[in-house]
Amino acid sequence: MVAAALEPFLKGDTGRNTRGLLRLIILCTIAGAAVASRLFSVIRFESIIHEFDPWFNFRATKYLVQNGFYSFWDWFDDKDVLDNGDRWRLMHRELGTWHPLGRVTGGTLYPGLMVTSGIIYHILRLLSMPVDIRNICVLLAPGFSGLTAFASYLITSEMTTSPSAGLLAAAFMGITPGYISRSVAGSYDNEAIAIFLLVFTFYLWIKAVKNGSAMWGALTALFYGYMVSAWGGYVFITNLLPLHAFVLICMGRYSPRLYVSYSTWFALGTLASMQIPFVGFLPIRSSEHMSALGVFGLVQLVAFVEFVRQQVPNKQFQTLLRGLILVIFAVSMGALVLLTVSGVIAPWSGRFYSLWDTGYAKIHIPIIASVSEHQPTAWPAFFFDLNLMIWLFPAGVYMCFQQLKDEHVFVVIYAVLASYFAGVMVRLMLTLTPVVCIAAALALSSILDTYLVADNPTPKEARPNGQATGDVVKNAADYIKDSLRSTRNPVLGIYSYISKASVVGAVTTYLLLFVLHCTWVTSNAYSSPSVVLASKLPDGSQHIIDDYREAYYWLRQNTAEKAKIMSWWDYGYQIGGMADRPTLVDNNTWNNTHIATVGKAMSSREEVSYPILRQHDVDYVLIVFGGLLGYSGDDINKFLWMVRISEGIWPEEINERNYFTARGEYRVDDEATPTMRNSLMYKMSYYNYNALFPAGQAQDRVRGSKLPAEGPQLSTMEEAFTSENWIIRIYKVKDLDNVGRDHTSAVAFDKGNKKKKTAKRRGARVLRVE
Amino acid sequence: MRWLLSLTFIALLGLVQALSSSGSRLLVVVEEAAEKAKYSTFWKDLEERGYKLTFDSPKNDKLSLFQHGERSFDHILLLPAKSKGLGPALTPNLLLQFINKDGNILLTVSADAPTPTAISSLLLELDIHLPPDRNSLVVDHFNYDTTSASEKHDVLILTRSSPLRSDARNFFGGDGTLAFPRAVAQELGNTSPLLAPILRAKSTAYSYNPKDEVETVEDPFAVGEQIALVSSMQARNSARFTVFGSAEALEDKWFDAKVKPVGGKDSKTANREFAKQVTAWTFKELGVLKVGRVEHHLSSISEGSSGNDSVAQLGYLNPTIYRVKNDVTFNIEFSEYSYDHLVPLKIDPADALQLEFTMLSPFHRLDLVPISTTANSTIFSSTFKLPDQHGIFSFRVNYKRPFLTNVDVKREVTVRHFAHDEWPRSWEISAGWVWIAGVWITVIGWVAFVGIWLWSEPAYDQSKGKKMQ
Amino acid sequence: MKCSGLLALALLPLLCLGAQKASGGRFEEFHARSQSSAPLRLDDASYDQITAAPRNHSVVVLLTALEARFGCQLCRDFQPEWDLLGNSWAKGDRNGESRILLGTLDFAEGKETFRKLMLQTAPIMLLFPPTSGQNAKPDGQPVRFDFTAGPQSAESVVGWITRHLPEGPKPAIQRPLNYFRIITITTTLLGIVTFISVAYPYILPVIQNRNLWAAISLITILLFTSGHMFNHIRKVPYVAGDGKGGISYFAGGFSNQFGMETQIVAAMYGTLSFATIALALKVPRMSDPKKQQLAVFVWGGIMLGMYSFLLSVFRIKNGGYPFHLPPF
Repeated sequence: MVAAALEPFLKGDTGRNTRGLLRLIILCTIAGAAVASRLFSVIRFESIIHEFDPWFNFRATKYLVQNGFYSFWDWFDDKDVLDNGDRWRLMHRELGTWHPLGRVTGGTLYPGLMVTSGIIYHILRLLSMPVDIRNICVLLAPGFSGLTAFASYLITSEMTTSPSAGLLAAAFMGITPGYISRSVAGSYDNEAIAIFLLVFTFYLWIKAVKNGSAMWGALTALFYGYMVSAWGGYVFITNLLPLHAFVLICMGRYSPRLYVSYSTWFALGTLASMQIPFVGFLPIRSSEHMSALGVFGLVQLVAFVEFVRQQVPNKQFQTLLRGLILVIFAVSMGALVLLTVSGVIAPWSGRFYSLWDTGYAKIHIPIIASVSEHQPTAWPAFFFDLNLMIWLFPAGVYMCFQQLKDEHVFVVIYAVLASYFAGVMVRLMLTLTPVVCIAAALALSSILDTYLVADNPTPKEARPNGQATGDVVKNAADYIKDSLRSTRNPVLGIYSYISKASVVGAVTTYLLLFVLHCTWVTSNAYSSPSVVLASKLPDGSQHIIDDYREAYYWLRQNTAEKAKIMSWWDYGYQIGGMADRPTLVDNNTWNNTHIATVGKAMSSREEVSYPILRQHDVDYVLIVFGGLLGYSGDDINKFLWMVRISEGIWPEEINERNYFTARGEYRVDDEATPTMRNSLMYKMSYYNYNALFPAGQAQDRVRGSKLPAEGPQLSTMEEAFTSENWIIRIYKVKDLDNVGRDHTSAVAFDKGNKKKKTAKRRGARVLRVE
Repeated sequence: MRWLLSLTFIALLGLVQALSSSGSRLLVVVEEAAEKAKYSTFWKDLEERGYKLTFDSPKNDKLSLFQHGERSFDHILLLPAKSKGLGPALTPNLLLQFINKDGNILLTVSADAPTPTAISSLLLELDIHLPPDRNSLVVDHFNYDTTSASEKHDVLILTRSSPLRSDARNFFGGDGTLAFPRAVAQELGNTSPLLAPILRAKSTAYSYNPKDEVETVEDPFAVGEQIALVSSMQARNSARFTVFGSAEALEDKWFDAKVKPVGGKDSKTANREFAKQVTAWTFKELGVLKVGRVEHHLSSISEGSSGNDSVAQLGYLNPTIYRVKNDVTFNIEFSEYSYDHLVPLKIDPADALQLEFTMLSPFHRLDLVPISTTANSTIFSSTFKLPDQHGIFSFRVNYKRPFLTNVDVKREVTVRHFAHDEWPRSWEISAGWVWIAGVWITVIGWVAFVGIWLWSEPAYDQSKGKKMQ
Repeated sequence: MKCSGLLALALLPLLCLGAQKASGGRFEEFHARSQSSAPLRLDDASYDQITAAPRNHSVVVLLTALEARFGCQLCRDFQPEWDLLGNSWAKGDRNGESRILLGTLDFAEGKETFRKLMLQTAPIMLLFPPTSGQNAKPDGQPVRFDFTAGPQSAESVVGWITRHLPEGPKPAIQRPLNYFRIITITTTLLGIVTFISVAYPYILPVIQNRNLWAAISLITILLFTSGHMFNHIRKVPYVAGDGKGGISYFAGGFSNQFGMETQIVAAMYGTLSFATIALALKVPRMSDPKKQQLAVFVWGGIMLGMYSFLLSVFRIKNGGYPFHLPPF
């Protein structure tokens, strides 16, 4: 590992020590910059965990640190990890998420992240540096981003001989928003370490393919295993490496090196990945992993054929063999299909499948479609995240075609695939970013190398100074039969200083602009921990909106230890983490039906949803309402997804159309359909809301619409808490009426309007039997 | 240990208040003192049973049911009032609030005195219906007291009621006849499970209004068995509310009156005893269930064993987590309050006390069988295997019967999955031996192969080496 | 008086019996007819007859308007599915255990019915549950199938029927094998294979041509990075008119775009990267200093202009974006 890290330094061509030292320093500074640019949120707000999923990871990490690895392994999610005693006693107090089903957490998460920070924690303790686990979790992502920069330096220097490319790549990787978006301080999510692992695994893979050494292959497998333990995105590697190998074989680039590296990686890597309980037997059961298996088989075949050919140089025999290979390949393909159809091999998981058939998710798995980061990417997002690299990227890929070595093939494939995925899902921008950085670095470095040469060639013949890049390209041009059209004739160099100066100046400006852009994006877009919102007051000063924590702490302080909270699943992890109360559903969306149940409770009439709430013995219902503040991420805007998801399960009872007006608009004002206005969510959102305004002036600032004159009435619940800016509203579910009336009449009676005396009943009267 | 505690506690309870299980402060709302005098025997009986009676008039504006948000009385007895309203202290909302705060109310109505609107609207809320027109009463031309009401037929002669249901306890049984002069019919709504009639009219009775002149009554308010003369409502919090159809029946003169049914010989009324039963039930001297210890533990840890491996010692009593397919024992201790002390609860064979092990819906519903009885409690128990489903379950004993206080005991436990080291090891599964053998053969084979390979290195050939690169 | 009541009483069961028999006969008759041609072609009369109130069978009627002049695309899309459903039920349920009749009422034959039901749109599918017998609904009011989600498949219709009439057998849908399609596919495959095997020597250089591959991969990359998939998934319009008659090439809003917009952006990216390539690879290979000088300035200028234009476009999309380059 360390050797691997140092190797590029020792392999400088001239004056290696000084250059090596310089590079080291530069890399360190880049890492420093990478870490520093991710600290905005910590400086602005505080050292706090961000968003939703990180809260669960944080809880899990605490649990791990408290109770050790094995009880973490068998963790059955209840709650309240801060407790000591033997391991079962511990797990019990957890009345957990997914009430009342509970969650076999140990077996349904990727432990890599928690284990990593746990190890760091213990190491620091060992060095007698007692650091709060929270701070480790908060700062894990920035720390790893530094490593990522370093890894991308390594992988890029594998691509080209130009020394500057690697450093550029490292710099890009360090500060590009596309990566910062998921790795700012406090976003303690799997991606935090996964991207580093991704890049480093690729680096090791390329090393392995280059040297054809089993050691590098084994290392690849090792880090692949780590990656599997860290992020579901490992499937990307699982399919990219085989694809690379396959393409190489098709290009007739098969070599013993490929054989050794691939076989080593596949054998060890698969074993490693199967150690993760959540993955288990997927690598041999699910279609996502079949390509790797198939290519493994193919490699064996090809190796065999090569072997035979070396023994018997015989034309017919070879054709025969080729035919044989094709047949076997076809047969195995057929077998695979057969197995898939017969169900021995699981078909593609929906999440994965929705990448190919882009319409799939929206129809079949609304839960996946409902997640904002699963939406397709519009072009501004690309530019926003990658700025000038987005157009350096194709250039870099093009340059990979110059000298099309194995590693360049890899980059090309990676580039094409990743850009497709990034186009389909915003979230996968993350996997695109590294290759963009690499390619952009390649392009830019070749420009710089060309134009930053101090003295000019004489028009006659190529000067040795041009060589630095010159001979590389020329060699390429030589030993590749048909080279790129643009690189046919030999490199001479740039003649005039003006052109050099102008180009270099321009590039420098662009780079500076890039740095400004990255800083701006980071500080404005990616550094707010969505738990705490910041807003600018008219006088420009910053105003912190802390409703979430206010509400969660209210829950923690004022509700019973085991009070069940129902909320839409986005907030499950936060309630678990901050309010420390069991929730019905949370961000781990493994149980569609349970989530649909919550959706149904939210989107039906009180009379319908009250029994559901009783059945799940819900004590409090928590909703998010942005109407007062103009906070657009609130539940009314997510409401349609609740409706859709529950409609998927109860198509007869819930119908999305009923929530739209006749003209197909989604409205909350007088126009709103009765179904909409009777739905629990609507009632809870706007209950007592017009008390804030003069009569008839009630105004929803998100939907920008005037609300009905008289607000909705709630009979089965009572308002328990509403946060300062009304962002969070908590309702208590009433118990059954003490003297057995229905809630509406009970409320009416308390309001003081007496029942009329029962008039003469008409028809046959119903008699009491007992 | 716990046993002793609970015992002593129960004993103390028995000593301290030899009467209602829920306090002795009884407010009697009576309008004028003259009224009060009529019921002297009734008061005496109550005082003998240890109640501290407070007589007050609804007109008195210092009267209030609550003080500092707490009940200032445990029970209320309302005598019929002449005036229409009952004053600010006894509005329906306040009375309902009194019930919600576990206060018991005995309401007596009479055909002579029109029911105040406050009362009738309260009754409507409870789904108990009085005849729409005031001062209409129940008459029965077949069972009336010939001596007192030979003309009007408005003094009903009744026998005491038989049990309501096969599985329901009968607190109001006994022989002797009851005389109900000028009773007001009540009709109980059909929907509410909280309502239960205590005393019904005979099938020949009907309710009509003597004021209206018409000779024939068509569509009377209620007829026959549908008329409840004494009816009860036990709220979900087990607060009790009883409507006593004829206040007059509680007067002294009816306590020891001789009545003579049609074609029968005259006999003494059992009103006094019946009044005792009704008040005793209403003021929680009867039919009050008390849950003592609730405990559950792994069956493997035996109950009987004492010393170091007894349940309590191991500290595994009422654990909050079990594993799927554990064998679990659940014990619950029940006692019943009768007049002034706790007695062991007896479940009659027609009925059953059941335990549910439930998550969303019951996975088990088992009969709890009595395993032992102490001086004043019975211990019911059940042993079963947990379902093969992890989650947050709860042991639930939900026992609700007419005239008995509601019992709904819930104990939440987590049922976890198998831990990674609770499965049998690979070599214990005979079916796995093939694979284990395979693994080892592969390992050995590989080592052997490597050995051979290294051993038999061929003479290094230059050209071949080139070609391989 | 009294005896008349008695009479009525005596008659009552007979009446019921009569009704019973009639409806029973009705079902058998229609079912028999459906065996020959399924689903039944109904007209006003037979419609009323088949759906008449006391019935011990259930009816599913598709009210449609197939004739071209009504221009009901949905009707025509759904018709094959419906026929398929009818046929496979006629086959699967020869002796009518399901007691379900499938009928089609075209507007041409059923104007009356359409008017009676006050239907403005087609197609509409009504399910008349039985008023007696298994899964009977007392009121026997028809249930309406929802076509808003576009043309439905036969399976979904069966699912809907099953939801409303839980009991009774539901024949499975057998889709006829589409032999024609299979044959065409196989032939085309074979053709391709032969073509490749014949033309292999000619194709080979093309396949192995690096420029070709480079071009392909660059184009795909540009396509995807300029948000083509977004267009594909969200079905965005190609261009949209701004309020005042003109065309707005750039959609407002950060996460919103037009088809043409993406093409423009892709073009810009392409130019920029091509300029980069030129500067990096072409220019240093020029032998003539003057030409090279010129080339450097040209390409450099293009790059600068394009980039600044790109930035300005991005400022349109993202309001608060502070940075910009001269000249735009």
